[in-house]
Amino acid sequence: MAMLAKLSDEGDALYVELLKAAQNSQEGLRKVFFQSEVQALVPDSAKGANAFLPLVQELTNHSLLRPSKLERALCWSTRPRDAAKAITLLNADEKMLYSYVEDAHQKGIWLRELKKRTNINQAVVQKTMGKLEAAHLVKSIKNIRAPLQKTYMLYHLVPSDDVTGGSFFDAGDLDESLIEELSNLIIFHVRMQSWADTKPKRVKREASPAPVAEDHDTGGNSLAAKKRKRGTADIEDSAAPARRYRSSYDDNGPELITQLSFPAYTRTYPSAEAIHAFITTTDAIRASKAAQLTVPEIQGVIDVLVWDDKLEKVGGGDGGGSGYRTVRGVKFKPPGYPDDEGEEEGGERFGNGLTQAPCGKCPVFDLCGEGAPVNASSCLYWAKWLEGGG
Amino acid sequence: MAQNLAELCIVLIENSLGELSAQIFATLAEHGRLTVHTLAEHAKIPLRRVRTGLTNLMEEQLVLHFAAEEGAPTFYSVNWRNAYNLARHTNIAELVNDRHGEHAADMVGNILQLGHARVGDLADAYDLQPASKRDSGIDTTADHMTEEGLVNGIAKTSSAKASHDMSTSEFHSTLRALLRSGVLVKVGTRAYMPPSDLQEQIEEAVIIDQFPDRKVTGPKKQSEFKLAINVLKRKWREDDAYSDLHDVGSRGAIKRPGDHFKTENKRIKVNGGHANGVLHDGEQSTTKLSDDLVVRVDFSRCTMAMRSRRLEQHAKRYLGGVTAAVYGALLQTLEGKVRAVHDDLAPDNSDDEESTLPCSTISEVAEILDPTIDLGASIKGLPGDKTLTNGTNGKKRHDEFGDFGIKRELSDSEDEPTTNGYTGYRDRAKRLSAIEAHLALLEEHARHFCKRTRAHGSNEWRVDFPALNATLIEAELDATILARYGKLALRVVRLLRERGKLEEKQVASCAMMRIKDVRAILTELQFHGILEAQELPKDNARQPSRTLYLWFFDTFRVQHLFLQQTYKGMARTMQRIPVERERYRTVIEKAERTDVKGREQEKLEQPEKQALREWREAEERLLAQVDRMDQMVALLRDFSGKDTSLTT
Repeated sequence: MAMLAKLSDEGDALYVELLKAAQNSQEGLRKVFFQSEVQALVPDSAKGANAFLPLVQELTNHSLLRPSKLERALCWSTRPRDAAKAITLLNADEKMLYSYVEDAHQKGIWLRELKKRTNINQAVVQKTMGKLEAAHLVKSIKNIRAPLQKTYMLYHLVPSDDVTGGSFFDAGDLDESLIEELSNLIIFHVRMQSWADTKPKRVKREASPAPVAEDHDTGGNSLAAKKRKRGTADIEDSAAPARRYRSSYDDNGPELITQLSFPAYTRTYPSAEAIHAFITTTDAIRASKAAQLTVPEIQGVIDVLVWDDKLEKVGGGDGGGSGYRTVRGVKFKPPGYPDDEGEEEGGERFGNGLTQAPCGKCPVFDLCGEGAPVNASSCLYWAKWLEGGG
Repeated sequence: MAQNLAELCIVLIENSLGELSAQIFATLAEHGRLTVHTLAEHAKIPLRRVRTGLTNLMEEQLVLHFAAEEGAPTFYSVNWRNAYNLARHTNIAELVNDRHGEHAADMVGNILQLGHARVGDLADAYDLQPASKRDSGIDTTADHMTEEGLVNGIAKTSSAKASHDMSTSEFHSTLRALLRSGVLVKVGTRAYMPPSDLQEQIEEAVIIDQFPDRKVTGPKKQSEFKLAINVLKRKWREDDAYSDLHDVGSRGAIKRPGDHFKTENKRIKVNGGHANGVLHDGEQSTTKLSDDLVVRVDFSRCTMAMRSRRLEQHAKRYLGGVTAAVYGALLQTLEGKVRAVHDDLAPDNSDDEESTLPCSTISEVAEILDPTIDLGASIKGLPGDKTLTNGTNGKKRHDEFGDFGIKRELSDSEDEPTTNGYTGYRDRAKRLSAIEAHLALLEEHARHFCKRTRAHGSNEWRVDFPALNATLIEAELDATILARYGKLALRVVRLLRERGKLEEKQVASCAMMRIKDVRAILTELQFHGILEAQELPKDNARQPSRTLYLWFFDTFRVQHLFLQQTYKGMARTMQRIPVERERYRTVIEKAERTDVKGREQEKLEQPEKQALREWREAEERLLAQVDRMDQMVALLRDFSGKDTSLTT
């Protein structure tokens, strides 16, 4: 490839002007210049359409300007000088590939797509891309939507959120610990504003709207009653088994209250925006990370917390914005504390009649039937259940 | 589909009525409507035994029968609903115990076991011969150790006890309370007819009565016809309904001359041909019920009560016990105002559904709310009931939120008895406003447990049952999924329910999980029938690799799936009972020997007593589990009142 003539002074001046304008604009190097804009920046010595075109052509030849078309009008954008230098050294294939990668901008372009568009032999494409990568002109990135596809983008660009998956991805991998910490922080923050704490106190008695005689000794659940029974030595006590009118799993006597609700409609619970403001201003999260977090991202975490039954939405109907509060009984877990409570939180949520019986979790439930290989009498799970109480 | 249900019903019947009835029921379930002869043929049972079995089934209303006319063959068919309801007995007794006390629970337990009962017979059982058996045809002692046997056990002991502390008037007032609350209803002759035949009969009656030309086609006539049918249906139903006015024993005195149509209906109301109110003793108080009144338990009403309780539990989960208690009271006041869970004869104005929901005022709620509950205990800034006498002092202490020592003292003092009660007007007003605060909390909650009828300031409240029922079902499905497949699976399910059909990548990004983990969960849930995937091929070749899969969660389908699984689980649990009994057979047989019975204490060895206890515990646990599963069935199937899977 023939060496290009040295860049003329006028061309250089124009390039500097364009670069400056591009860097000042919001889009940075992505800024495109239309003909009129370029003309405005042309040095006085080369005004006029005649002089202007050779200058642009010269810069394009030096790869300092990249011509493209936008809405059928010719336009140009600038390239960094060192990149341009490297480009000028490339051959035709490389140049073509580079320009496609460049077009893809922050999104990046898939290797196979490149091949398809350029119509160049696969081996050549791969070799060329490797060379470009070594020259620090392009880089390979991991696209979160297609982690297996090899994607390239220009070396100096920062991949967009679409590609990286947003703040919660660290080098294409989900940053689970960040999500967990963030969730915990949100729960902590919302919890402080959702319920008033109080010393444990008792309500008089559990819900029994009709004031019935309270002498029946079956208040406890079946287990407690059974324990009592085991203690009795007299067979007559158990001879007439008191049919317990308490098979349900609630109602374990008087309830301890440790959370007070605020009167309805008197309180504004934190919204996603408010939570975002809290997260970004607190120093619990690394500042650079916190600055990256957006409201939709926080909203995403909140949604997950709602699905996990940690937060619930309040309001949102007519009158006043909606906010979130923690579900009753949800506790803030100090950082580094093991999550030992697991799914048993909230008692009532833990299973129901079906899942607590062996059948509800039986792996061979579908095979079970009278005369079938598995049946009620041969069932090992029942034996275990009746024996061990679980 | 009905296979699981049929299996369950057969097990239930076998448990309560014995093998013969179960076999007959099984045959009927398999073949549909049959006459006695074909039934005997199919079941391969001698005709005489078939008749005995059918009688037993009929007494429990497990079989419907209908003969088109005198002399025509009678067809028998199963009554799915009643057969299933055998499993609900304990739950109902428990419920009645909660609301109306132990006596009522005993009584309801007995009536449940008998299917239906004459008031006179019940009174006999309670008052005159407390130790004797009821004169039903069912030999309950034969099945002593079954579920019914257990109920029977308590009934025996407590009816003996009841004879001491329940007077005649108490008996009747309990019964009346039960009738008025709708737990018990009067039985009419039509209760045994299959609904389709009943419909036919009504249509026929309407045609004869109003359309002598037998022409009911054409839009105008059709609508007239439908209207007339509904009117007659409602009338018949009202005829069959209990009313304080008509069914008291001293009815003769109240009867007005010229009230001819009521006299006419008397004949229909009474089972077995006795005219109502002919025989009664004059010296009894007016509140005494006619001895000939036949009552049974109204299961749909009980289902409604179960629903209320379930909703209350649900509210408790989210808003705590005190608020839930207030909610429970509200629901109970509403119960009396809803005619049935689902009234198919209700005027059909779907465009204004809201106004058809009943509403209750705060004072109605206050009336039945347990006065011992400290309403102020769970809302910040609300003075506790008991501290009202302290006036501003108490309130101030509540507001002082830094000083916990003082607050502790306050809650101690709440246990002290107050002199006033709620007699004072001021206290009452405070109580009402406290209730209102709780109701507002319920309204504010995202699940909208209740609703103020109109704008601010009105003190009437209503509950949107259809919407809440959907919430309950979702919560139940969630609980099942959570317990079976874990937290992450639940997250995915709830996400899909909220967002609709999504591709796995979208699922992963919404759930903030790795796509690999998501894929594992999705596949597992699909395998178990919880999730479905819709294929969306990108090209005509329909290659799996070039296909998008949109995942979704179909609530209705999963609800149905779980219902079937629950049936099956219940059947297995019931089937396990005889297995357990077999394990302890020798001890049980010994305990039942005539020379041992009643003197177990001296005749049995210690290990034998231990074994007997173990067996009872095992059976008890199994039965309790059946009850729990029944609660789930009630929720998944019956609460909406729209289920038709059990109609014959």
